[in-house]
Amino acid sequence: MPILVRRSNLIVPAVEQRAVRRSWMHDADSVTLDLQAGTPDSELPQVRETLRQSISLASKAGAEVFVRVNAQFVYADSDAAVGPDLTGILLPGVESSETVAEADSILSELERKHGVAHRSLEIAPSIETAAGVWHIRDIVNASPRIRQVGIDEAALAASLGITQSADHDPFVYARGRLCIEATAAGVQPVAVADPMGVQTGDLSREGMVNVATDLRNLGFKGIVCGHPSWIAPVNEAYTPTESLVEYYTQVREVFAQALAAGTAAAPFAGRMIDVPVDEWAKDVLAMSAACAARDAEKQAALAAAAAYFDPSVPVIG
Amino acid sequence: MPSSTRRLKRSGLTMPIVTPRFINNAWHRGCDYINMDLEDSVPPNLKGYARSLVRESIPVVNKGGADAVCRINHDLMEADLDAAIWPGIMMVNYPKTEYGHEIERMDAIITRLEAERGIRPGTVEIGANIETAVGVANAFEIVTASSRVRDFGGASGYDMSRDLGVEMFVAFDQFVYGKGEVELAARAAGREPRAAPFTPNITGSVSDPDRAFAEADAARKCGFRIGGGLHPAVVEPQIRGFAPSDDEVSDARWVLREYRKLSRTGQTWVQVDVSSVDREASPRPMASESYLGRHRVIDRYEAARAEELLQWQDLCQERDQEKAEAIDRVRAAESAESAT
Repeated sequence: MPILVRRSNLIVPAVEQRAVRRSWMHDADSVTLDLQAGTPDSELPQVRETLRQSISLASKAGAEVFVRVNAQFVYADSDAAVGPDLTGILLPGVESSETVAEADSILSELERKHGVAHRSLEIAPSIETAAGVWHIRDIVNASPRIRQVGIDEAALAASLGITQSADHDPFVYARGRLCIEATAAGVQPVAVADPMGVQTGDLSREGMVNVATDLRNLGFKGIVCGHPSWIAPVNEAYTPTESLVEYYTQVREVFAQALAAGTAAAPFAGRMIDVPVDEWAKDVLAMSAACAARDAEKQAALAAAAAYFDPSVPVIG
Repeated sequence: MPSSTRRLKRSGLTMPIVTPRFINNAWHRGCDYINMDLEDSVPPNLKGYARSLVRESIPVVNKGGADAVCRINHDLMEADLDAAIWPGIMMVNYPKTEYGHEIERMDAIITRLEAERGIRPGTVEIGANIETAVGVANAFEIVTASSRVRDFGGASGYDMSRDLGVEMFVAFDQFVYGKGEVELAARAAGREPRAAPFTPNITGSVSDPDRAFAEADAARKCGFRIGGGLHPAVVEPQIRGFAPSDDEVSDARWVLREYRKLSRTGQTWVQVDVSSVDREASPRPMASESYLGRHRVIDRYEAARAEELLQWQDLCQERDQEKAEAIDRVRAAESAESAT
């Protein structure tokens, strides 16, 4: 299965026109336009009307685009979003497989209605309650549309009466359960919203790289970013560094030499290199290549978009 | 070897069975078990050759009293079991266990081979190693799949880190949830948990004796009794770390003596200020600056802890004695041979 590179996911309130117009500029691997937070119910019809345009705008530098729908308006919100530029919906507050199954059949209907390939749209469940954490296995296995799942830590904290702080981590269990059950189901766990109780807005760039690296080392495959300033450090933390690539290239060489000499265990810099270490080295190198390919894809989309918008380039039509 | 007794596994060396210098020298390292590896340290083109070595290697690794263990390949279970189940084998490690039915199948094959090869039925243990997220998710069905699974653990290490896509050597416990699930499954099923509390190992060293001691000591204090490693330098520190210290043994005897006194009073607990106890007395409580504090509470829980500690100490000493005698026998035979 090809590696799904979805390091950074910028979440933007769909009602904020300026933020939506700029959402493609930040080099996010994906963008989520949020119909839930910040949009009063009375303004929803208006926001829905321009949603397809917003999605198209958000995707123009190569980002995948999700829409966070309202749990009580899954049909209407999705109906306004489904089109060729939509990757999927972010489904908030999921507590059971039934909720996922309902959204799945709604998307099937809307795929037919809007001429989008059958079963192409994703559902990204967001876990926000203890019931959701408990039923996580049923939830992640409820639909083949699910490729990523997250715990919205701010929402979970609110539902449990928790005051988040960087000093005390109340979510060791919930986060561990998410990463294990999602990985077991072949679904990517993502971290959401001021993860680990850290107000990332207060951190230096290096501090944010460190937080993102810790999240990667807990098993998360990407981070939902509440502010554009998170994206560069998150992308950095999730892209294997040159020195790491160099180290694991050496590991592979040492292991290949050991194999040729008739053993699959070789000492290297105080560590023991055997099959799983070589396999991990392959994974790191493959991730590096996949990140490079994704970055090239985004660069190409950006260049095409820039050319399109460059006034010196004649626009055909 | 009596089948019903618990086999101690405080320290064990895992080594490629295809490297004769490792296998031939392992017996005098003093470990409780020796894990002959057919899996990750054996190149694919040598798997058949590796299999052919197991039967003759069992008595070699047994020489110094260590129990013989064999790690087989997940995808070559049947052929590897056929090569490994011979008299003298104590346990077979099955890597990357993900489902209960894998262990059931393994149990059936071992049962047949035990009958065919004159091994006491039900004695060969299965080490069902958890090394993937799927394995963690199915931990309880796995640990209860066979009575041959006597201890159970994993959810850490290179394969686990690969499966989760996390770096192996970081400054925090990236496996805490999985280890907790697996330990809970083991304890709920009445099996011995194989685990260790988190001690940072950023260097990834496999031969650091101080680290090995600290980890074994911490593991024992958390109720774990099983260790293992890759390098001979960690064997002795592990054996030492899993054994209660002399001070702890003396302390446990003192606790039991105080508890006997308490039992005669009709009280259920008493607090003792240990700072005034004669430091030369025997038995005596551990020094007041220890983690136990100056005021010690003696009650039935504390007595139970002390009793378990002394029982464990006896088991450790018996096992060390057993290995020392085995090594002495080998040495005596060798010198008799060289004399003739």
